[in-house]
Amino acid sequence: MAASLMRFVRGGFGRSLNIVRSSCLQQQIRPQSSTTETSPTTRPSDAIAHNQLAAFGEYVAEMMPKYIQQVQVTCFNELEVMIHPDGVIPVLTFLRDHTNAQYRNMIDLTAVDIPTRQNRFEIVYNLLSLRYNSRIRVKTYTDELSAVDSAVPVHKAANWYEREVWDMFERTFPLSGYVEVRYDDEVKRVVAEPVELAQEFRKFDLNTPWEVFPCLPRAQRLCSQTGGRGRRP
Amino acid sequence: MAGLVKKTTGLVGLAVSLNPHERLRILYSKILASVQTMPQDAAYRKYTEQVVTERYDHVKTEPDVEKLEKKINCGQIEEVIFQAECELSLSRKMSEWKPWEPLTEEPPTNQWKWPI
Repeated sequence: MAASLMRFVRGGFGRSLNIVRSSCLQQQIRPQSSTTETSPTTRPSDAIAHNQLAAFGEYVAEMMPKYIQQVQVTCFNELEVMIHPDGVIPVLTFLRDHTNAQYRNMIDLTAVDIPTRQNRFEIVYNLLSLRYNSRIRVKTYTDELSAVDSAVPVHKAANWYEREVWDMFERTFPLSGYVEVRYDDEVKRVVAEPVELAQEFRKFDLNTPWEVFPCLPRAQRLCSQTGGRGRRP
Repeated sequence: MAGLVKKTTGLVGLAVSLNPHERLRILYSKILASVQTMPQDAAYRKYTEQVVTERYDHVKTEPDVEKLEKKINCGQIEEVIFQAECELSLSRKMSEWKPWEPLTEEPPTNQWKWPI
């Protein structure tokens, strides 16, 4: 009993000693850390990269003064080139094919909607140059009615993104130029026609699951219904 | 090993060029000719001429392909040929677009102001 008590006391004493020691350490450390925390944590500025990007931005702006309205380097060292909407294809082609640029990869294309502006849509292209390990952002603008040239002839990757932007905002990219193919019974061959979005808007009425296409002819609807039922056991 | 042609560039779709010097000589002279039609003070003409003549000089003076690649310092010689092809097609498009002309239209006020 006495021995166990002794052990407990020793253990407790030791533990309390440890605590004292650690609190001492903390007290020693704390003033140091509080002195370092007075200066705010900031991103280290990379002046070399910033200057390189700024120099390249000036180079591009000097090359194509007809289209480039503004060039800026953001605080995160990203080069942004603001262009007139007419210059989408020239500027993207120049950035792709020029020996000193070689931005051959389109990473992203998207649109930003800022409703208070006169030209409410801002279209953003993000490009990557594998040769020089560098990125560039090209921005242009448009409003609800005017269409911007498609970037697909320059970057094939733009195809999907442009469709996505069209889905989100409509009217930004023209539908002209896109074709779809179908088999024509009268001509007896496959014909290519310009795309028309004539598809009926599908309105799903959850109460009557059989009549989701109100514009379909009644006979056709019934036919499909019986066909569906007939297959069931 | 001297005179042995390398088997592959290691890049998909880029075949080994058997006569890189001749190919580059043709491409560079074509680029320089197409750039000649642009106005004297166009920045595109100035910088492209500078890059192309520098590379063209290396091609003229250096017969060894590996040393030439090191001097140009822009990847393998096949990649350099590809870059020259791109530059040639670009220079022909550029003379149609005439991007050295003054700005077509100023942006609307506050178009590029961010935050709004």
